[in-house]
Amino acid sequence: MSEAAFPVLGAAFVLLVVLPISALLTKLVLVLLERGGSAGALDRLGLRYVLLTGSSALPLAWFMSAGIHQAESTRSAFACLVSHDEAGSCFEPAFFASLLAGGVLLAWLRATWQVRQTPVARSAEGEALSARLECLVERESALFRLRGRVLATEQLDFTLATGGLLVPRVFVGVGFATKLTDAMLTSGLAHEAQHVGSRDPLRYLLLQLALALNPVGRFLLSPHVARWKAAREAHCDREAVLHGAAPLPLADAIVRAARPVMSGVAPLGAHDTAVLELRIGLLLAFAERAPVRRQHENHQSMPAALALLLAVLLLPHQTGTSPLDVLHTSAERALTYLLF
Amino acid sequence: MTFRLRAGKKGVELRLHELEATIMNVVWGKKLSSFAVSDVLAVLEKQREIAYTTVMTTVARLHEKGLLIREKDGRRYLYSPKLSREDFLQATARTVLEGAIDGPQAIAMLSEKVSEASGADLDKLEALIRQRREELER
Repeated sequence: MSEAAFPVLGAAFVLLVVLPISALLTKLVLVLLERGGSAGALDRLGLRYVLLTGSSALPLAWFMSAGIHQAESTRSAFACLVSHDEAGSCFEPAFFASLLAGGVLLAWLRATWQVRQTPVARSAEGEALSARLECLVERESALFRLRGRVLATEQLDFTLATGGLLVPRVFVGVGFATKLTDAMLTSGLAHEAQHVGSRDPLRYLLLQLALALNPVGRFLLSPHVARWKAAREAHCDREAVLHGAAPLPLADAIVRAARPVMSGVAPLGAHDTAVLELRIGLLLAFAERAPVRRQHENHQSMPAALALLLAVLLLPHQTGTSPLDVLHTSAERALTYLLF
Repeated sequence: MTFRLRAGKKGVELRLHELEATIMNVVWGKKLSSFAVSDVLAVLEKQREIAYTTVMTTVARLHEKGLLIREKDGRRYLYSPKLSREDFLQATARTVLEGAIDGPQAIAMLSEKVSEASGADLDKLEALIRQRREELER
């Protein structure tokens, strides 16, 4: 077998075998989590996100790291990454890592470009809305996260949505805002403040990228992704109410935001009937009885996910690259047997 | 009002035992705005054999559950319904929905095929919100 073919074989093995198996196992865990009596629709959102994203990201991270370590197995992790003597031996993993990084960069730039394309309102109506929004943000303690981050836009049919990866901002459509009372607008902003606080646009992008690299996984996991997103919206509704938003004005704002159909963005959540019914039902219930704060929410999920990613990256340095070596030698033996 | 939902039951019986549901159906059906135990007993006796004490105990339980309001009238109590049948069923629906958050029912709801909400769906949701607001303002 030509040595040049091995990197392609390794990549194909990871993409066509490892990632689908990982997605299948993740699906099994998610089904158990979602059906488990103790886990409600809004529970374990952080864990579910880590599973959905990690099912693709972790095997890929291991593959890249193992590729680099296989090239320079006797060196330290730092040397593997930076000060190797023979740059050529790291070409193959670096090539795939660059492809991956290029894809991530493109997606990142596209998301950033989409946000920058949203025109900030300059008209008199837009200025009036900006002043109104500023006043609401200053007045409501629940909206402290949004200080300096709420912009009025005159984009046609725009309602209320959060955009921006590192510094998320909330955009409010001028036409939409004129139909809302202050209570509705405040509640809607309180919902978006939860997305801003959790950097949800970035989370959504990472999830989207992870699934884009795993077509079989995307097919297997798409219902769980849809449920996670719906639950995330309902979670933001609940958190907004816990931070002082009024449930009924928020419900009103959600239904009004669902009316104009806007391409590419699900303003204030979603257009799906079942999701809307669930969220409105919850808010009606919250109007009667305040929701209870859950202790085990998402705060630990991102640090845990990053720690897991680091552990996976360092794993080949500690345990070696035997799976890749086994794949390499098995492929060679199989081809030798078939050809000769 | 706190209720335990009863598996496999629908409507009023989702939250009430059979006799409780029967009594509430009599109260709502006959539009009894103020009644004594004996009034309900008179209706029930035409349908089945039943003791006064059984009806009295069940009516008292309905009062404890918050479905009936009672006031002293000499040596007896006079009861009146706290909610209409429609209000009760709507409150039940809300309880089901709220309870679903701690169970797998909400997941099942979200498992339904994705369908974009129509104008009629949104009208219905707006009507629900309006109705809830009116109830709370009363």
